[in-house]
Amino acid sequence: MPAVKEYTTTNKPTWCPGCGNFGMWEALKRALSELEMEFADYSVVWGIGCHGNGADFLKTQGFHGLHGRALPVATALSLTRPDLKVIVEMGDGDGYGLGMGHFVHTVRRNVDITCIAHNNQIYGLTTGQASPTTEHGMRTVSTPSGVLEEPVNPIGLALAEGATFVARGFAGDIPHLTELYKEALRHEGFALVDVFQPCVTWNKLNTFSWFRERVYKLEESGHDTTDRTAAFDLSLTTFHDMTCTPEECRIPIGVFYREEDTPSYNAGVKASQTPGWRSAREPRDISDLLASFS
Amino acid sequence: MSQHDNEPVEVRIRIGGPAGFGIKAAGQTLARLFMHAGYETFDLTEYPSLIKGGHNNYLLRVSTEEIFSHVEPVDILVALDADTVRLHLGELTEGGAVIFDPEAVDIDEIEGVPDSACLIDVPLKQIVYDAGGVPIMRNTAALGAVLGHMGFPLEYLTDSITAQFAHKKPEIAEQNVACATAGYEYASEHGCAFPYEMAPRERRGGEERILVDGNEAAGAGALAAGIGLYCAYPMTPASSLLHFFAKHGETYDVVTKHTEDEIAAMNMVCGGAFGGTRSMCATSGGGFSLMVEALGMAGVSESAVVVGLFTRPGPATGMPTWTEQSDLRYAIHASQGEFPRVVLAPGDRDDAFHLTWQAFNLADQLQTPVILLGDSYLSDNRQSIPPFDTSRVEIDRGDLIAEGEVSEYRRYAVTDSGVSPRALPGVTGAEQIVNSYEHDEYGFGAQGEIAEVRIAQNDKRMRKLDLARTLVPPPAYFGPEEADLSILLFGTTKMPVREAMKWLERDGVSVRMMQLVTVWPFPAEEVSAFLGEAKRSAIIEGNHTGQLQGLVREQCLVDVDHTLHRYDGRPFSPEQVRAFIEEVCG
Repeated sequence: MPAVKEYTTTNKPTWCPGCGNFGMWEALKRALSELEMEFADYSVVWGIGCHGNGADFLKTQGFHGLHGRALPVATALSLTRPDLKVIVEMGDGDGYGLGMGHFVHTVRRNVDITCIAHNNQIYGLTTGQASPTTEHGMRTVSTPSGVLEEPVNPIGLALAEGATFVARGFAGDIPHLTELYKEALRHEGFALVDVFQPCVTWNKLNTFSWFRERVYKLEESGHDTTDRTAAFDLSLTTFHDMTCTPEECRIPIGVFYREEDTPSYNAGVKASQTPGWRSAREPRDISDLLASFS
Repeated sequence: MSQHDNEPVEVRIRIGGPAGFGIKAAGQTLARLFMHAGYETFDLTEYPSLIKGGHNNYLLRVSTEEIFSHVEPVDILVALDADTVRLHLGELTEGGAVIFDPEAVDIDEIEGVPDSACLIDVPLKQIVYDAGGVPIMRNTAALGAVLGHMGFPLEYLTDSITAQFAHKKPEIAEQNVACATAGYEYASEHGCAFPYEMAPRERRGGEERILVDGNEAAGAGALAAGIGLYCAYPMTPASSLLHFFAKHGETYDVVTKHTEDEIAAMNMVCGGAFGGTRSMCATSGGGFSLMVEALGMAGVSESAVVVGLFTRPGPATGMPTWTEQSDLRYAIHASQGEFPRVVLAPGDRDDAFHLTWQAFNLADQLQTPVILLGDSYLSDNRQSIPPFDTSRVEIDRGDLIAEGEVSEYRRYAVTDSGVSPRALPGVTGAEQIVNSYEHDEYGFGAQGEIAEVRIAQNDKRMRKLDLARTLVPPPAYFGPEEADLSILLFGTTKMPVREAMKWLERDGVSVRMMQLVTVWPFPAEEVSAFLGEAKRSAIIEGNHTGQLQGLVREQCLVDVDHTLHRYDGRPFSPEQVRAFIEEVCG
């Protein structure tokens, strides 16, 4: 079993000092180590953004794909490699903006993927534009008069599309996040962990202290994680007027919802039960097919 | 029973009517029965992009000799509506027959029906009513009438109907047989003499035949190659390949996914290839446009993917159900940046089979995208051909490192050939990042921006193009080495040109044809040699701007003497090609 530090590559992280990505990185390494995952047991697929630079820092046999397109790459890997645990790391602009179509469809398919969303509510790598989860009214370089749209509600969207595991974490609480990751990794089917991950450079509103004053843990609140309607109601409480006080805004973290018995998409595909490369060891016999053409 | 005449016999049948009449299915029944009766067949389906109404037609060429394409004339026109007569009257040969239902077509109202035409007014609707059938069975009655007019044994049709409906309620087959029989009897009694003697025959050597379109051929090639993942979004004319894998995927263990869009399809095949699964997607120009960013990713990440680009007239939605060869440059150049790719252009169904399994080998050997460039003319239409020679199929997965053989793994190790040994995820010690960013030997993006690293990786990738030149299928040549005219072409234009060459040979006009099987990397040396030896040269291509001609100018610094273009959505006909050749050869 590799120790936590062994999941680190030789590359020095290039995230800004204090970036929320550090906490997410640490929590994932701890979760992988505690679940005794060897490097050949899992594969991480990243999109593009500050989160994606983490591909250089986490030891894996992984894939750093295009902006917004990590989920389809991971879907195929999951459906053709039942021997690997497939993890997606995506950003809010990446996964909920450009890649929103893939997100919705991957959720409703219930493909066996652990999907970790680095949600900093801003575009970091492209220097501070409003993202799909930026709060209404916030001024950014691309919205100097304030964001006019309502933010995307990833938890509510996932629930609406039949997600079988939906959770939210906070990069400022690494032990709690580690446990969420472990539960998501144990889940068979699509597991979303949307993580508030403050951007210390571009998002001066949703800071670590802003979140610390507002988050509370669902497991301590008596929430029933099998109650989908209650989970959906909770998802609506996440975003408030940006000027709301800590008393007015209470932000739940933890598991919103889970279904244990719903079969994954993978389970419904016979060809997904064995690694796809096995089909290409020698030419397939297609004589029956050719006979059907005659 | 069998006919062993030396004189070739050929009959062309066109069935036309509104969409929703089952015209293509009826036509294919006819094609299959003639194939079983020892004939060669080639069909051409024309249809608008709609489900009901419009004008659909199916052209079937039946011959005793080897044929390569469709032809223009029609000997028997089956008109399920008056439009079919109006639109196709001009194609009718001297003494040709028109089979129609007088209740649906008022033949006297139609101008220009030649006196020589044999008008066979089969009461199709009444026949179906009498048989207790449903309206679509008019087709079956019409097929019966076709055979009745030809004096061809009815059992070929009734046997085929019985087989076709074997899994349905028995009355369906019975009603269809009754319709076929009534149509047959009516046409044999009321028709005029059929000018040819058509009877079931022994095919020379008794060789087997299969009836396949280009997509079925490509699907068979992919299955033979061990494909494990097929992803696509429906788009004409590639959709039937999705249906093919949806139908056969479970039997052959192929994960088949109708994706949310072509962006997902192309990204998925990259994910599948990363896991070591032979992965393919296919689409037409519009869907390919959505795939392009991920195509570039396959290039820089060195992913072994196969992409089918089955073209139709563009730009944008264009003419969805028609054919064109106007995406040659697009296939070669699509994506920002530079990376090695292979573009193979099947010219017929046998090419489609063999180039598809070869595409998977090339993708693995080169770890780069391989594009199969086809078009609607190939995708949609069936021909009777000898079964594919599956003994030629080989599997070469390229340079793969197995479990237990990995040490100090560098996914993108710089090598002389440009190919880095590949260890799949799941192999102990195979830590790697397969990266859409420029990257170092380990796949790390952070170092990819170092100038020396970029140059080393870019040079390494581009060296694979030199390796590709040694691996790709060579051009194919047809006709005598010394010829009046040397024609250069790619893709499906091969078919009508071969047909025209057959005719011209009989007339004493000699033509040599060079088919670019691999269009990228461009075989500049071979093309230069071919054109250098030509007495007179021409390029025939199905586009407006002369994309192949432009490539020849660019890659060989020469030009051809003559060109022929077509971009009306229709494939070249051999008649058109023959007229062009006769004109340029003076």
